[in-house]
Amino acid sequence: MSHNESLPLHLEGVALRAGGSPHGRLLCSGLDLQAMPGQRWVLLGPNGAGKSTLLMAIAGLVAPDHGRIVLGDRALPDWRSEDLAKCRAWCPQFWLDPFPVSAWETVACAVLATRPDRKAAAVEEVARRWLHVLDAAAIADKDVRTLSGGERQRVALATAFAQATPLLLLDEPTSHLDWGHQGLLQRVLKRWSKDDGGTAMVAVHDLNLAWTLATHALLLDGKGGAICGPRDKILTAEALALAYGVPVTILEDGEARWFRVNLEHPPCSS
Amino acid sequence: MRLKPPPLALAIWVAACCVPLAFALGLLSGSSGWGWPDRDILWLIRVPRVLAAFGTGAALALAGALIQLVTRNPLSDPQVLGVTSGASVGALLALMLLPAGLHFGVELGATVGALLSMTLVFSLAWRSMGRGLALSAQPGTVVVLLVGMMVSAACLSVVDFIVTVANDVQLRSIVFWMLGDLNGATLWWPVWVATGLAFVLAWSRARELDWLARGDAWAWTIGVSVAHRRRIAILAACVATGAAVATAGSIGFVGLVAPHMVRLTGLRSARHLLPFSAVFGGVFLVLADTVARTVVAPTQLPVGVISAAVGVPLFLTMLLRRRA
Repeated sequence: MSHNESLPLHLEGVALRAGGSPHGRLLCSGLDLQAMPGQRWVLLGPNGAGKSTLLMAIAGLVAPDHGRIVLGDRALPDWRSEDLAKCRAWCPQFWLDPFPVSAWETVACAVLATRPDRKAAAVEEVARRWLHVLDAAAIADKDVRTLSGGERQRVALATAFAQATPLLLLDEPTSHLDWGHQGLLQRVLKRWSKDDGGTAMVAVHDLNLAWTLATHALLLDGKGGAICGPRDKILTAEALALAYGVPVTILEDGEARWFRVNLEHPPCSS
Repeated sequence: MRLKPPPLALAIWVAACCVPLAFALGLLSGSSGWGWPDRDILWLIRVPRVLAAFGTGAALALAGALIQLVTRNPLSDPQVLGVTSGASVGALLALMLLPAGLHFGVELGATVGALLSMTLVFSLAWRSMGRGLALSAQPGTVVVLLVGMMVSAACLSVVDFIVTVANDVQLRSIVFWMLGDLNGATLWWPVWVATGLAFVLAWSRARELDWLARGDAWAWTIGVSVAHRRRIAILAACVATGAAVATAGSIGFVGLVAPHMVRLTGLRSARHLLPFSAVFGGVFLVLADTVARTVVAPTQLPVGVISAAVGVPLFLTMLLRRRA
């Protein structure tokens, strides 16, 4: 499933407000970022810092207050939503399933939407293959309303991958996953970005996962400030402690970094 | 719980058997007993009535399926749009004010009422119907539901007022109208035309309705023009509901129950749900009307009594069986 075109993503002086409304709280301003094919970005920051809103802005759902977001050669408002659907997949944090539908059909609709010319059998095959990759083959025929949180999340991830876009926007994809499946997602994402040259933007809270998953990081401090760049420049003890308000100790072991967060410490007065 | 849809051929075959069977039952039963009726009774009374029943049921069921998909709410039905109660006000005003014996006065009043309340709902909720991409996973289109319920509440207070000031003769027709009655439904074709129109409007890109039901924002990211599709679906539902109410008064539960019954058989995608809901609703109402005409013959019950009597226990069973 390789992509013929690689789409660089540029954020130019982007300012975002909460909820995308002009009266919302300022989440970040003057944000410049370039995400190139093959890079995996993690979005870090405290609750309400704007990780989800930034992902929605990159998905085209929310217009930035200032600045512009350019995907490939065009700014987002110049894209038709049908074309955009072939270029980026957005996996939201929460899902609501009002009606019974099986897991593979949920995945299949993302395939159908972006490739309407495919035969039904081929669509089902793609859907089941991605469910298999994410260790969800056993629940492929189950009603999504009966799945556990982690199972539903794997179905959602399979849906995002099955859309086969060069840009993946995952909003807290590991929030319901156990350790084994966090590792699985990490391997799948890495293989996908290496082999297919895809760009991933992933909002996470776990610093150790962020370090091993990412090539680059964006840290929102929750007060309107943001820093971004290669992971070793951003994931530093000082910057993380300042953003999250808890002391962070980093153990370095060659290339590897281990993050230890002291949760018993009273909040930093920063 | 595993989900396996039935073979489509089987579903079509069952539907194709049920429709003529229901029609035969409807045509052969009358208030005077079973059997082949006179030519005149058959062509002037039974045939139009059975056709009107089928069209009304199909219209309500189609509207119900559409409203449930678009509002992402399994408890929605055509009545929450406010069109039903608007049509009731129109019909009752026609009963009260127009001279008795005027042909199609009530139908005309109901159509005008349905159109007016539909316009009101649309103009009040237009902005939120189109622009409101609900960014969270919460059910979208809450504003349409709330506006519909408010219009409905306002209309029902007008209905109460009319009922209070009506005289005894008028009250009889009013009660029959409000219960839902196919007795006066001689004009059968408008509801068929409206249902056909609504079906064509909605079915052309029915698959996108399925995606819409999984979240506005997500549907937009996979390329659905959410605002357009939603407005078309609501328009189709309003047209079908208005025609159904103008034909037979306010009949409850068909619109709510028919889509759920079809879903229970495993036909869940909108491309199957819409046509099979319409067929189920039509067959259901033809049978309900047949029962209504025969169960306490020679008195004819309003069909709304039967459809609610069957619909309520059916729906409660489904609701209580549902996993939390």
